[in-house]
Amino acid sequence: MTARPLSPAAVAVLQAVAAGVRHGFDIMDSAGLPSGTVYPILGRLERAGFVRSRWESPTVAQREKRPPRRYYEISATGLHALALSVEHYRTIGRGGRGTPGVAPKPQRS
Amino acid sequence: MSERPWSPTADATWRRCRALVRLASTIVSRDRRAAWRAEWLAELYSRVLALDHAGVLSASARRDLVVRTLGAFPHALWVRQSEWRLDMLMQDLTFAARVNWKRPAFSLLVIITLGIGVGANSAMFSIVNAVLIRPLPFPHSEQLVYAFGAFKGGDQAAISPPDYLDYRAQTHVLSSFAGRTPFGTAVLSSGDDPERVTAPRVTANFFSTLGVRPLYGRTFLLEEEEGDHKVVMLSYGIWQRRFAADTRVVGTTTSIDGEPYTIVGVMPDVMGQIFPDQLWLAMPFHTAESSVRRFHMLRGIGRLRDGATLAQAQAELDGIARRLEATYAEDASWRVRLVPYHDIVVGGSGPVLLLLLGAVGLVLLVACGNVASLMLARATSRQSEIAVRTALGASRAQVVRQLLTESILLGGAAGVFGLLLAVALVRAVHAVGGNLLPRMSEIRVDGIAVAFTMMVAVLTGIVFGLAPALHAARQDVAATLRSVGGGRATGAKHALRLRDALVVGQVALSLVLLVGAGLLLRSLWLAQRVEPGFDPRGVLSAQISLPMDGFRSHDAIERFWAVFLERVRAIPGVERAAATTMLPLVGGGDTYYYVDGHPPASDADKRTAQVNVSTDDYFATMRIPIVEGRALGAEDRSLGNDSLGHGTVVISRDMAERLFPRGGAVGSRLVVDVGKPLHAEIVGIAGDVHAFGQDVQAPDILYLSIHQISSFHNGRIMSLAVRGSREGMQLAAPIRKALRGLVSGVPLANLASMDQLLRTSLATSAFRSRLLAAFAVVALLLAVVGLYGVLAYTVTQRTREIGVRIALGARAREVLTLVVTRGMRLVTVGIVLGLLGATAAVRLLQGMLFQVSTLDPLVFALVVALLVLGGLAASLIPARRATRISPMAALREE
Repeated sequence: MTARPLSPAAVAVLQAVAAGVRHGFDIMDSAGLPSGTVYPILGRLERAGFVRSRWESPTVAQREKRPPRRYYEISATGLHALALSVEHYRTIGRGGRGTPGVAPKPQRS
Repeated sequence: MSERPWSPTADATWRRCRALVRLASTIVSRDRRAAWRAEWLAELYSRVLALDHAGVLSASARRDLVVRTLGAFPHALWVRQSEWRLDMLMQDLTFAARVNWKRPAFSLLVIITLGIGVGANSAMFSIVNAVLIRPLPFPHSEQLVYAFGAFKGGDQAAISPPDYLDYRAQTHVLSSFAGRTPFGTAVLSSGDDPERVTAPRVTANFFSTLGVRPLYGRTFLLEEEEGDHKVVMLSYGIWQRRFAADTRVVGTTTSIDGEPYTIVGVMPDVMGQIFPDQLWLAMPFHTAESSVRRFHMLRGIGRLRDGATLAQAQAELDGIARRLEATYAEDASWRVRLVPYHDIVVGGSGPVLLLLLGAVGLVLLVACGNVASLMLARATSRQSEIAVRTALGASRAQVVRQLLTESILLGGAAGVFGLLLAVALVRAVHAVGGNLLPRMSEIRVDGIAVAFTMMVAVLTGIVFGLAPALHAARQDVAATLRSVGGGRATGAKHALRLRDALVVGQVALSLVLLVGAGLLLRSLWLAQRVEPGFDPRGVLSAQISLPMDGFRSHDAIERFWAVFLERVRAIPGVERAAATTMLPLVGGGDTYYYVDGHPPASDADKRTAQVNVSTDDYFATMRIPIVEGRALGAEDRSLGNDSLGHGTVVISRDMAERLFPRGGAVGSRLVVDVGKPLHAEIVGIAGDVHAFGQDVQAPDILYLSIHQISSFHNGRIMSLAVRGSREGMQLAAPIRKALRGLVSGVPLANLASMDQLLRTSLATSAFRSRLLAAFAVVALLLAVVGLYGVLAYTVTQRTREIGVRIALGARAREVLTLVVTRGMRLVTVGIVLGLLGATAAVRLLQGMLFQVSTLDPLVFALVVALLVLGGLAASLIPARRATRISPMAALREE
């Protein structure tokens, strides 16, 4: 899984989650992507173990007079995959030799 | 959340979005639905609440919210499909494979039955696709049109070179208009093995009109249409075969008809699909025969300008034809007729192929009937299993999915089997078919055919698996479980009725196919029994064409034949030998004639007949009977000199009876156009000869002696006929030696026995009759197997009842009758329906039949008898089994 960089949309979603945006609708706002795209991405990321999801406690929800919401958090592997993918897209952006679909070689100077 | 914490607008928005989410949630599977809905609703609720409290729930914000809610549908679909994951599919598949594996007989029967149906269809589809559907291998081939010369007497004639040049110069709707002589051969002698090959003459723009560039070198130049340019282009096949695919061949010279020609280009392989192995020579427009408007020798190929239609081009050419008509007397009533080029290439094979495709479709239907019947039987027998699974909590969807997976698996296996069968069948067609169909070389099982096959197979699996699957899923679980062990599952009766209907349909379809095949076979049989009018046994034929060099005068040619035939007759085993310009089944050519004293009033009244110029021994060699008068012989020299044109002629019987209904043909005179009028006395009447094949009416033939003809039919190109006592082909070598002793570089071309030619002339109709017959037999076998299956099943179902009957004293005969009657009732209904269908369907065969009515009683009676016999055979085995049922065993089953 880590061998292939994430899609740009997945990177946007994962970046939002990494930045602490927790709920579905807020992630859509933050990533600037429609719901029909964001939710399947979240599902895939969760299945890959890059994000975890939980239901917030009913007490919090009750206090705010609304039903409990589901929230998403990034995992350690998710952070790693995000870093790799960001690096990959940056290489392309610089006009480097990174090819889509191929993980860039780590370049440490 | 009893009290509404927000404004009425917010409430309306919330309700609308909630309704959408609830609707979308029905897509999600039941066990995930609640959580999925809760997440969406919580997000929506929070968002509406936040927007409302902030006071920014504007119209656009509300619209955005609805749009975002619509995303719930793709999300739900995604959740659903991701559930249908590979592991579940694999689970279904392995289970299905296990189920099918555990019933190998059933599975094999389905796979083979369906595979045969699908494979035959796939092969037939490959043929139809290559011959009829796939466009010609030229760029924008839909723009290509073929041009015939047309006049009162026929619309498949040729165009004279001067007329062609006028059309070419004046047309605008055709962006390019090329000409080609429809016939023409030449002797190619590169190396020491001369060979006669097709070598039409083509105009310089012939290749550019088709849109094909040469592989090497160039095509003809416009100036090569003028003057005596000895230039030739090679087809890919000739280049490969005769020039070892040497790229340096361009620019070198080779010997054609004994003269040096410069090879200017090699055409690519793609031309070979339409124009196999040939040479192309430049069309000369400067020769004497090319400047006469009466001499029609070219067929045209034109390319329509972008966006132009054939009708526009036809209208334009008609206009040009009227102008030519007004200017030149020879062009009276002549015009040019355009036809899509594709139609010309496909020729008459279209209806035959579509008929066969239809027939093979019926075979598939019969096969599907068997598959459906088998599936129904299995679904019925598996009712208990399904009921148990349902009772244990399997949802209806799961059961249906499982049954469908099984059917699709079977369909897929049948598809693979069918594909292998199709490849084998296409190979066989290539091996057997020869050149029976146009574009034969293009026939192959390609990607489209593979897709077609698999789609048909899997769809059949689904369709004929679905009905039983749904049927099984809808059953009453409790009732089925109660009857478990009783062997009388509910729904069995309904399924059996369905299977009865399937058998009736199969019998009906088989009857239609059998009648069609029967009619074609009978007409083939009748055609084969037609007396050809000559005796083909032991006759060897070949073509010889003499070069111009050394054979310029008629005397030289005549002398050659006299000496050569004498040497051939001296070969041991040769009885007789003759040469002719028109050997039956090989060639022909007609001319105008009239009864002396009765010249035609107008061009339209002109009569034509085939001309046969031959050496003395021709009638004896071919054993064509002389029914009156005498045969032609040495005494038939031109009387007087050539300019007077007096001579003798023998005519065919049918023609004599038509021209002289009151008799007296012998002794009368005809005027025959042999380039100039020949006044010929009829000295004999010969029996009719089916010169164009046994299934074609015998043509009128004028027989002339080679001694008296020197103009049109000069005898330079003749067919040799040798009657021998030895095996025909053994004579080939000594004949070739005799030929080489007289003239070098002349091949003995197209060696063939007359027997073989006669068979070939019926090959197309034999091909289609036998193919259709094969399809019909397969359908009949499938129908018989289907009937057998139903009856065998019935006997099993009724074991107890029959046992009781036997226990009560029923005799074996009565039990036998019981089962056979039931089988024959189905067959009878099928026959009646089939007869109705057949009387309608045979109309498609009109035009393909020879001396057989479409409602030929003999064929219909035989087919019905065949089906009755098949039905009896299928009934007897289960019936005999029924008579052996032991009453004790049957009762114990209770």
